[in-house]
Amino acid sequence: MSRTNPQAPARRRPTRNLVPRLLSGSVLVVFLVFFVLPVIWLVLAATKTDQQLVHGNPLSIGSWHAFKANWDALSGFQDNAIMQWLGNSTLYAVISLVITLCVTIPAGYALAMTEFRGRHSLLVATLVVMLMPTATLVVPLFLEVNAVHLIGSMWSIILPYSFYPFGVYLTYIYFSTAVPKDLLAAARMDGCTEIGVFRHIALPLATPVIALVGFFSFVANWTNYFLPYVMLPESSQMPIQVGVGSLLSNVPSFNPAVGTTAIERPQLALATLVAITPVLVVFLFAQRFLVSGMLAGATKE
Amino acid sequence: MTVVNSSTSSAGRRPRGTDRQSRAGIAFVAGYVVLLIAFGILPTGYAVYFAFTDAGGTFSGFSNFITTAQDFRFMDAVGHVAVYLLFWLVSLVVFVVGLSLLLHRLSSGVASKSLRFFYYIPGALAGAASVLVWLFMLDPSVSPVSSLLSTLGFHTFGEVIAPGNLALLFTIIAFWTGAGGWIVVMYGALNNIPKDVMEAARIDGANAWQTAWRVQIPMLRKWIIYMVILAFAAGAQLFVEPQLLSLASVGVAGRDYSLNQLTYDFAFQMNNINGAAAVSVELLVVSVTVAGIFVARSGFFDAD
Amino acid sequence: MTVTKPSSSQKRVFTARRAALLAGCATTVLLTVTACGGGGSSAGTTTKDGFAQAPQKKDSTLTVWVDATRMDAAKLYQKLHPEVKLDIVSYDGDANGSNYLQTKTQLFNRTGKGWPDVVFSSQNNEASWAVDAGFAAPLNKGLIDDATLGNFAKGANDVCTVNGKLYCLRNDLSQAVLWYNAPLLKKFGYTVPTTWEEYQALGEKVAKEHPGYLVGDAGDSFTPEIYMWASKCGANHITGPKAVSVNTTSEACTKMAKLMDVLIKNKSMSISGVFSTDFGKNEADKVLLMPGPAWFGGAVFRDTLKVPAKQIAAAPIPQWKGDSDVSTGNVGGGTWLLSQHSTNIKAATDFLKWVTTDNAYQGEKAPGYPAYAPAAEVWLTGQGTAGYFASDLSALKNASSQVWSQWGSGQFSQEAIWAATVKPAITAGKTIESQLPAWQDSIVKYAQSNGYKVSK
Repeated sequence: MSRTNPQAPARRRPTRNLVPRLLSGSVLVVFLVFFVLPVIWLVLAATKTDQQLVHGNPLSIGSWHAFKANWDALSGFQDNAIMQWLGNSTLYAVISLVITLCVTIPAGYALAMTEFRGRHSLLVATLVVMLMPTATLVVPLFLEVNAVHLIGSMWSIILPYSFYPFGVYLTYIYFSTAVPKDLLAAARMDGCTEIGVFRHIALPLATPVIALVGFFSFVANWTNYFLPYVMLPESSQMPIQVGVGSLLSNVPSFNPAVGTTAIERPQLALATLVAITPVLVVFLFAQRFLVSGMLAGATKE
Repeated sequence: MTVVNSSTSSAGRRPRGTDRQSRAGIAFVAGYVVLLIAFGILPTGYAVYFAFTDAGGTFSGFSNFITTAQDFRFMDAVGHVAVYLLFWLVSLVVFVVGLSLLLHRLSSGVASKSLRFFYYIPGALAGAASVLVWLFMLDPSVSPVSSLLSTLGFHTFGEVIAPGNLALLFTIIAFWTGAGGWIVVMYGALNNIPKDVMEAARIDGANAWQTAWRVQIPMLRKWIIYMVILAFAAGAQLFVEPQLLSLASVGVAGRDYSLNQLTYDFAFQMNNINGAAAVSVELLVVSVTVAGIFVARSGFFDAD
Repeated sequence: MTVTKPSSSQKRVFTARRAALLAGCATTVLLTVTACGGGGSSAGTTTKDGFAQAPQKKDSTLTVWVDATRMDAAKLYQKLHPEVKLDIVSYDGDANGSNYLQTKTQLFNRTGKGWPDVVFSSQNNEASWAVDAGFAAPLNKGLIDDATLGNFAKGANDVCTVNGKLYCLRNDLSQAVLWYNAPLLKKFGYTVPTTWEEYQALGEKVAKEHPGYLVGDAGDSFTPEIYMWASKCGANHITGPKAVSVNTTSEACTKMAKLMDVLIKNKSMSISGVFSTDFGKNEADKVLLMPGPAWFGGAVFRDTLKVPAKQIAAAPIPQWKGDSDVSTGNVGGGTWLLSQHSTNIKAATDFLKWVTTDNAYQGEKAPGYPAYAPAAEVWLTGQGTAGYFASDLSALKNASSQVWSQWGSGQFSQEAIWAATVKPAITAGKTIESQLPAWQDSIVKYAQSNGYKVSK
């Protein structure tokens, strides 16, 4: 945070703050290493041969040649299945993202900023459902989706994806802590309709939380493994996570009985990197909005 | 339903237009309610129905709860999860809030932004990537941190994944994947604390520590409570971390470790969906109770 | 009903009532869903070939589930039989006990549709649940002729047999043999041991004369299936559909445990596991002898440890001195199942028969040792021509009919039990012998919790 006030204490601050600053700096760096080192290892792993991965220095760089060979082997797996998986994942994640945002943001807004019948029960129900372990939900979901004849269609996972209670709560907390009710009341006094209040007052203020919900729901859908694993009947419908999971079961170290070495560990590492790239791109994109809508000063209590 | 809007009579005390507001509120949540019923309430209700019936669908009281609790792995799993929860909740709350505050104090916007990005990256690494990463991280013969591991007295993978270390390992893995996302959330929340409040604290002569403790953390209250509620539920439902360590170690460590793993085992290995549902309901009740305590103590639901 | 502004306590009651109402609504919808889901396809079946068959539709599409390795088989079949409408779905093959097939079958049983016609599984124990679930069709009651079935290696289809009916066909065998490095053994001046006593003596000699070199590995989850099974240790005798006899403290078990303890102690037997990074890094070029299943030849030596050609050879697994009843162990080997619900049983049977017996796949392309004996002959010739091994693989052929029959494939995983119970103790420096009672205890608990009746 920028401290622009050039007052007397400011002159003393550099020396007084040096120790805590160093301390907090080193804490941040230690955690940086903790979070990033495994990722660096993973990136490097994709540039090595399986032999190098085991025998070489863990943090050495492999070679372009090995990287190319890994890529060729990976894209050769079932006729470039990985691109198909990526395509599927994108389709599922994007459609459900749109539905999620259209449904979640208004719901969170209404729960925080308006009083209506059932508001409390809705908050409770959402929380309870969010806390339910997923293992036993699979069977009921499967039966439901079957009852409406959606088994085998992509909607069998897109619709469950679109239900995102976590996002509803994020929005709810955001509005209830960051947007003053007086602001909306003032707008209503001015004759705005409820829709108008939402569109012209609330939405512009909500950019950070829209970015947050959008991003988290995208990631949740992108990395979801179990639902598509159970729901989708065709391997051509697999999203990337399920695909990478099936690659894993073709690595002999994880599945000794595989028989032939279809996939080696560096190729698996490469596949996982391919799988997370879209998430990181979306993160960088969303991050710009996470801070942009800072509300400081919007309220005058 | 013939119930008349309960808030009509309070109209006198509220600004006009409450009725209109109420209708609009319902319209705003309508889409979500449909999804909530279809993919939340209905499946959960179904699971509860499973928990109290047998395979043939006849009511069986608590017999599913009793038989599953008698499984020889059940009590062990309860103990494992309890220890894990302790590690997990403490580390998450302390480090997430601490790191967010530190990041927020960074004067360089670029550094803060990049750090948040780097902290977040593991959150995108799901499933197979984690298996691969942790197999190599924890194996002293190939690990980038093998010197650290050998300082701690570990020389083989088998020693690292000894039963006594598991709760800590799962905490590390879960923290590695999960903390970054919460840091982003907390950071965003810190940004929303009005500047004048911070300024007032500064003028009062509060140092960084006092500001954090007396101003920032209280204003993050709702976010922290939300995180604790969800983190408690996620921890009680520990599944992914032991499962991936079990894959990496080809079954040596992490199989049948947690209660949620047992539910999967009951449901899909032993074909006992009713038993699985019973354990799930137990987990749900515990999580809801904890959530209830936090919600009641904090006014979490108040639309203040 | 007109409600005046409720006080806070009234309000709570009100919420509770609303919640109850909501639950009521949910239940109603729920029952509707159940009613929809409950409709099975029991109508219109005819009993033929020993089971109730769904109405058959000629030329209907055949859905086949295979793992990535068996993908080649399905594709080859499609190429050779372009007229068959085949929907090939790749899945994980139930590797690592993923239970995918079982999970999906449970769901399909509830919705009454969706089953694949033919499935490959990399597990041997599918029959243990697939019969109860009404999924696997009996094959020896009319679908597949006895002449064909008689050509499978002796005992190969035991894992598929429940109450005299055959519910799956074995894809490949994983009989254990003694792999060894021929030039290295010659260089050291040793001969291949034929008894376990000689094997132990050789191990002790290696530890003294060539420390660091290995005569075996005891670090994998399938270790008991190599050593204990070959030694006729009665840890896993499946005596009925839901009955098992477990005794891990008989002499057959303790003898082998003691042997392994000696070799582990003098470090001529590794405890890393052949697929571990530790083994790959430090012990890959130290293998002198290695008892292991048929697939070790390709999957471990050639592909994982990258041992050069013309070094690895196979000999019969040692026997206990004076024991004339030759026996060996077995590690895995996949199976093929045919669905009772198939609407094109003829096409499904043709595919199943082709994929398990035809030389075009099993003889020439299959990575593992074919369970179908005539195909195995062709397969062995092919391995000879390829020229990787330093000896012929006749040891594999002999071992294929010597797998000890009193070690079964139950629903619970012996590998997982060993990995979780005995392996950590070995790592912690305890002897295997001392862990035998704990091992038994664990097997008994898992068996009982899977609904097995346990005897000793």
